[in-house]
Amino acid sequence: MKQTASFISAYTADTSGVCSALYELGGLVIMHDASGCNSTYHTHDEPRAYYMDSAVYVSALTEMEAVMGGDDRLVNDILVAAKELNPNFIAICGTPIPLISGVDFAALATMCENKCGIPSLGIATNGMHSYLSGVSQAYQALFNRFVCPQTAKVKGAVNILGATPLDFSINSQVEDIRAFLEGQGFKIQSCWSMGSSLEEIAQSAQAEVNLVLSSDSLPLAKLFQKKYGIPYVVGVPYGEKFSQKLAGDLKAAIASGNSSVSYAKNTACKPQGIIIGESVTACSLAQSLAMDLNLNCQVVTPLAASPELLREIDRTCTDEDDLTALLKDAPLVIADGLYEPVVPSSAKFYNLPHEAFSGRMYRDKLPNLINKPLKKEN
Amino acid sequence: MIKLAIYGKGGIGKSTTLSNISAALAEKGLKVMQIGCDPKSDSTLNLYHGTKPMMSILETMRQKGDDFTLDDVTQIGFNGVICVESGGPTPGVGCAGRGIIAALEKLNEKGAYEKFTPDVVLYDCPGDVVCGGFSMPMRQGYADMVYIVTSGENMSIYAAANIATAVANFKNRGYASLGGFILNKRNVPHEDEKVSQLAQDFSAPIVGTINRNELVQLAEDQHMCVLEAYPDSEQAQEYRKLADNILRLSQSGVK
Repeated sequence: MKQTASFISAYTADTSGVCSALYELGGLVIMHDASGCNSTYHTHDEPRAYYMDSAVYVSALTEMEAVMGGDDRLVNDILVAAKELNPNFIAICGTPIPLISGVDFAALATMCENKCGIPSLGIATNGMHSYLSGVSQAYQALFNRFVCPQTAKVKGAVNILGATPLDFSINSQVEDIRAFLEGQGFKIQSCWSMGSSLEEIAQSAQAEVNLVLSSDSLPLAKLFQKKYGIPYVVGVPYGEKFSQKLAGDLKAAIASGNSSVSYAKNTACKPQGIIIGESVTACSLAQSLAMDLNLNCQVVTPLAASPELLREIDRTCTDEDDLTALLKDAPLVIADGLYEPVVPSSAKFYNLPHEAFSGRMYRDKLPNLINKPLKKEN
Repeated sequence: MIKLAIYGKGGIGKSTTLSNISAALAEKGLKVMQIGCDPKSDSTLNLYHGTKPMMSILETMRQKGDDFTLDDVTQIGFNGVICVESGGPTPGVGCAGRGIIAALEKLNEKGAYEKFTPDVVLYDCPGDVVCGGFSMPMRQGYADMVYIVTSGENMSIYAAANIATAVANFKNRGYASLGGFILNKRNVPHEDEKVSQLAQDFSAPIVGTINRNELVQLAEDQHMCVLEAYPDSEQAQEYRKLADNILRLSQSGVK
């Protein structure tokens, strides 16, 4: 049955993505939705919820407010909460019900800001897209509102873009990416969205280059390039050899001002396996497997992906039936454990957990491959 | 780029008035885009001699998904006016307001304003502000000014006041402001006085008066606007004068 997932899970939605992107920045995040439970947005998909506070609230939209309009009540509630919490900013985000009733989030943000003076963002998430869309929208809103214009650059400074637990969990991958870059002589200007404050995010235009770790941050990287002339390099430093190449590409981008995708766009070899996942992380893994183990894999992404982030042999596949057919003859499949039901028994299956797909289910099985030589037991 | 939205009670003559305003502005050498925001998709019919509504954005999206170009959802009408219709759901199902949002966002996403580079964009909006979607054309980034078509009939004045109140309520949202009222006469008693009172109540001008004239209906019978069918008529002159007033008010930023 088309557009139906009978055996596999679904990726977490843009509503979780926006919360994840804003989680550590001291904002008051309002999800405009029915009910009062916000676990959907920032507990089940957000590992930081167990050890770090973030002011994420649900508006508790009622049926009558959806029908009759209840913007004034919402704004008043936000103002009361803002007075108590004194947040760095207010973000008002959408869900399916406001999508249908046509709530104007930018206008709500204007109303809040006019009344309390706290910078306010309206982010039109709607629960109809994947987490990548929510992260991307949050990043663009942060860029437009908070990133300060800079003329002076900090030598060797890099922004890490797209580092959310939804793609990188909490098994020290992001810390290791920081350590790897520092070991290569770079200075970490900011890390979006783990380990940097709003003040550091605001100073990110001082960087000389951006590292794009996930497709959700490509639009942000392009904004940096357009407005501040900062080039970007796409790739995750998985494996030893690819990590070295990525570091070289970052240095070359600083020297030339040109952006690049660090993994090879062409590969002449017949794929020996399939990796399912987000385009940048999956292609980076494919490249590191090719370089460290001489193993060539095709990437299949069930998520929205810009064509420039995929290689020639890769493809998008959003339908479970199509995916099942695609995997039919694959000798090797590397994917989140919840894909296993559609992997043929003839294929060798490696569980590579993805927080945005299976949440905390397999978190303890997630390997940390940052700047480590890949071996078969990895 | 000047962007204006025209609202008013259903059947009051918005589309007819707007098509003639579009034709008059285009006659002055301006590049005009008229966007119908009514599920009936009949705003621009008389600009392109249509006997049935053109393919709307929403119908195209339903049939082709995202696989279409701007040429698939536009027609070039009289005097080169670029005609677009948002469309809407089958009556009785779906959500027309949400449809307007989806259509206008898609038009934006497809780069319509960059491709056609219109000097003037006119949104023809349904009878009243009734849900979030119907206010879309007056939101930030869309129309800068709202004009309301009304006659002296009580129900029309009531609807016009309702719309003007909504525009005033939206002031703190950064939406479009009220440009004024257009009196489309039905020859009811005390018509001028009643509409003058309305304008006074909202501190807005009457930007033009269109007298009732059978040429309007005769032009529509030929699937044309008055400026095309009867360009030298007094009625055509009234539309030209109205278009001039709106243009002058919009250019000077008088609200």
